[in-house]
Amino acid sequence: MRDGDRKNILMTEYNINKEKPAPENSIWKTVGAQTNPSRWDGARWSSFVDHISARGVTVHAGRADTSVFVSDAGGLALGMPHGVVRPSSASDISEVLKAAQEYEVPVTTRGGGLTTEGESVAFGGLLLDMSSMNRVLRIDPDGMTVRTEAGIYWHQLAEVLRRDGLDYLSAPLNLTSSVGGTLGVGGIDINSPRLGCSADQCLSLKVVTPTGEIVECSTDHNPDLLERVLLGYGQFGVITEATLKVRPFTPIIMKYFYYSSLRTAVEDLQFIANEDAADYSGILTIMDKAINLLVAFDSDEREKGFNLRWRRHLRGHGEINFGLRMAGYYLTHPWRLREASYLIGRRLTLFPEFSRPEYMHDNKIVDRTVVFSRAVWKFWGGSKMVIPDLAASEEKFIEAVERGNEVCRKYFRHYTLYCVGIKLSGRRERYEMSCIPPDARGMAYGCEFEPMLRDTDYSRDYLQSFKNEIYDIGVDMGLSYYRFGGMMKGYVRKAFGDELVDKHREMKRKADPAMILNRDVIF
Amino acid sequence: MKTVKADVLIVGASMASSAAAKRLVDAGLEVVALERRTLPREKVCSGILSPRGHRFLVENFGPLPDETLHEPKSCRGVTFHFPSMISIPMDFTGGPTPHLYRKYSDHWAITRSGVIVHDNTTFTGLEDTGRYINVRARREGAEVLYTVRFVIGADGPKSAVTKALYPGYRKGIPWFMVGQKFQKIIECPLDSDYFHFWFHPGLGHYTWSHERNNQQIVGVGFPSGGNLHKAHANVERYLEEKHGVRLEPAERLEGLAQNFGPSLINRYVFGKGNVLITGQAAGFFNMLAEGMSCALHSGAIAGESISEAVRRNRPVQEIYRALIASEVKRCTDQWNPLRIIFGNPHEADFKASFGKLSRKEKLTVIRELADFLKIYAPYRWGRQILSQSLVRMLTGEYSSGRWL
Repeated sequence: MRDGDRKNILMTEYNINKEKPAPENSIWKTVGAQTNPSRWDGARWSSFVDHISARGVTVHAGRADTSVFVSDAGGLALGMPHGVVRPSSASDISEVLKAAQEYEVPVTTRGGGLTTEGESVAFGGLLLDMSSMNRVLRIDPDGMTVRTEAGIYWHQLAEVLRRDGLDYLSAPLNLTSSVGGTLGVGGIDINSPRLGCSADQCLSLKVVTPTGEIVECSTDHNPDLLERVLLGYGQFGVITEATLKVRPFTPIIMKYFYYSSLRTAVEDLQFIANEDAADYSGILTIMDKAINLLVAFDSDEREKGFNLRWRRHLRGHGEINFGLRMAGYYLTHPWRLREASYLIGRRLTLFPEFSRPEYMHDNKIVDRTVVFSRAVWKFWGGSKMVIPDLAASEEKFIEAVERGNEVCRKYFRHYTLYCVGIKLSGRRERYEMSCIPPDARGMAYGCEFEPMLRDTDYSRDYLQSFKNEIYDIGVDMGLSYYRFGGMMKGYVRKAFGDELVDKHREMKRKADPAMILNRDVIF
Repeated sequence: MKTVKADVLIVGASMASSAAAKRLVDAGLEVVALERRTLPREKVCSGILSPRGHRFLVENFGPLPDETLHEPKSCRGVTFHFPSMISIPMDFTGGPTPHLYRKYSDHWAITRSGVIVHDNTTFTGLEDTGRYINVRARREGAEVLYTVRFVIGADGPKSAVTKALYPGYRKGIPWFMVGQKFQKIIECPLDSDYFHFWFHPGLGHYTWSHERNNQQIVGVGFPSGGNLHKAHANVERYLEEKHGVRLEPAERLEGLAQNFGPSLINRYVFGKGNVLITGQAAGFFNMLAEGMSCALHSGAIAGESISEAVRRNRPVQEIYRALIASEVKRCTDQWNPLRIIFGNPHEADFKASFGKLSRKEKLTVIRELADFLKIYAPYRWGRQILSQSLVRMLTGEYSSGRWL
């Protein structure tokens, strides 16, 4: 090829903004995909804005309006929308999406912005800030359901439900993730071993499809759309309303068991989940030799039952017993004193957060959403958050946790592992190409690997290498991930295989011909 | 005089610049990159990329178009050759990597970054007023003034930005000359899937060969002041005698001065105030496919540091020097004998390939490696490398006190 020709071809290649397939013959697939998208070039943006403005939709395009959305909770992916719309109704969104198809303007949806891989960051185009749609519409205490707008934060929803003595089933342990965003990816709580992921408590949805139709869907009505949208990573529509199951609100009684072996702790976690021995269970490590298995109960009866039947099977220690063992260990390993002081510091600062007097009544935690969310942000929050994870079947889980732990140890001095079970509600179509691993039956397990970054300085690429190394374990072992979108989407094909990804991409293409809705998230 | 205002000015339009630009443009900053020549421009480079560099390019700029590649399109790894004729081929971990045509790969990357590029524009000097930086440049004979908040010097080994900040710096470090000639192949038994490197003190400080577009590249590096043609003829003769490589007379010659050294002994130069130095200008320079990788990563860190400084209102040097530590580790580890023996700092498994040799061959290789290193003795790097290696072992970090 002559240089002149080469240059011409290149100039057209460089400038295309639409996705283009990787070159054939290629060694590139092994590497992944472009996970830090190029900024959309803004072609036809102003015509698009004129079009939707004429239909009563306001676009905020000032630098102050757009720059607050430059990143998400992860703080690593950066991108600026051309403009922001705060919809007040499904028909606003419908106008936006119809026009976006016509003008080929990328649209990114954002709820609480609590993604960590830039899934809710707009790399140009329009950002739909869904937090403007945050009303609770109806509570049905007889049918035990709630109908809510999907931009609401779980915490706001909880506040409203509490007035009627109700609670949602399960939601992420932080205050400001939105209902819509959570249903789109799954949502894990420490009661997920009993109640499943948050998306599974959903009965019906109002969705605006990528082409702008407003559709109601449930298991009886448009079930295909429901199955696409739940755990669909925002690809098949914008959720504007959701009907969720609710349950009576109960304060909880919490207990801790301490382990010095990850394997034993994970085995016991799985034992508890399989036996349905507790209402809540999860593992939170302080260090890999100081592991906390927490269990909690909705009622005194459940606690009693646990103490009678299952307590003696657990190999974890009580706090005093474990403290003495650790003291013994550090007395004989005095060069590890720094580790010991970290442990003590953690014990003195973190644990009281779970029993602050203002949230305790009769030795019970009155509102776990508040207590856990506060602790999560206080101790794990920071300007950057990196939480790679592995999701595995019961059989593969322990090995996944141990291998991931080795990777953490290589990269960071302090980190936390958070492990929890997720009950599956049968073989749902929604689980395909989701965080639920394909070989999981009945129960899946997830482990998050979270370095204690606070405000330490690590470069984004150092953190990316860490994430990649965790995710490589997933590829090697045939696992799945909770966060496989955005900066991690290079793993989508590696983890799920071309056939499945192409199938979903085909469905996406059908539903969203111009590929405008959340286009940078997984495809 | 024409005046341009922007948030950040990047000097250079190569790999490190593209990576820095990508981070800054994504963060919504106004960024301009200056390039002395007309783009796309040729660049002296093997074009061999490490897996980490490949990953960075794909993750940040997308799959590489075929036009950015030479033939053969990919490289499986590196083969080390020793005077005793022992050869050790090593594959890159994770499979082959692309063989880049720098003229177009660099242009592709800088275009994909979304930065505004002013080519044909030469940096001539800068003045930091404390509040902003005035950068003087020359475009087609006319002076242009850039008024910016931050400057990134990513302008390669003989960096004009480094010179503007530290006028004496260039004289204080050793310089090497690398030259490569392109010759049509009559016969070449060297495996074209690999980049070949010779640990032979009689040939040069850095001697390599690989195939590109049906030509064989034979290259040699030596201290500045040597004679390229003589050194090259010597290598060509050696390859013919020992490896049976027969080539037609050279059609083309490329040469370049390189600042090999700062990365070995942890003597990087990172700039001052709101001026950051990055890429090879900062001393990130690694042989054997790692050069572009550390340019890309250090450049990205420079960009990230500025966006962090703006977002968090913190001094940029403080952030840059903290973030760059991981890249320093990565780059300097590759020369750290303790890391080479006890770790695996390279992206091709030397130890595994070495392990396949017989005991006798292993001893020969070790002896010949030691003989080869002797030609670097005049630079007195040995003691510094060892002391840095010890510091790295004890504290887990290289000392930032040695950086300029």
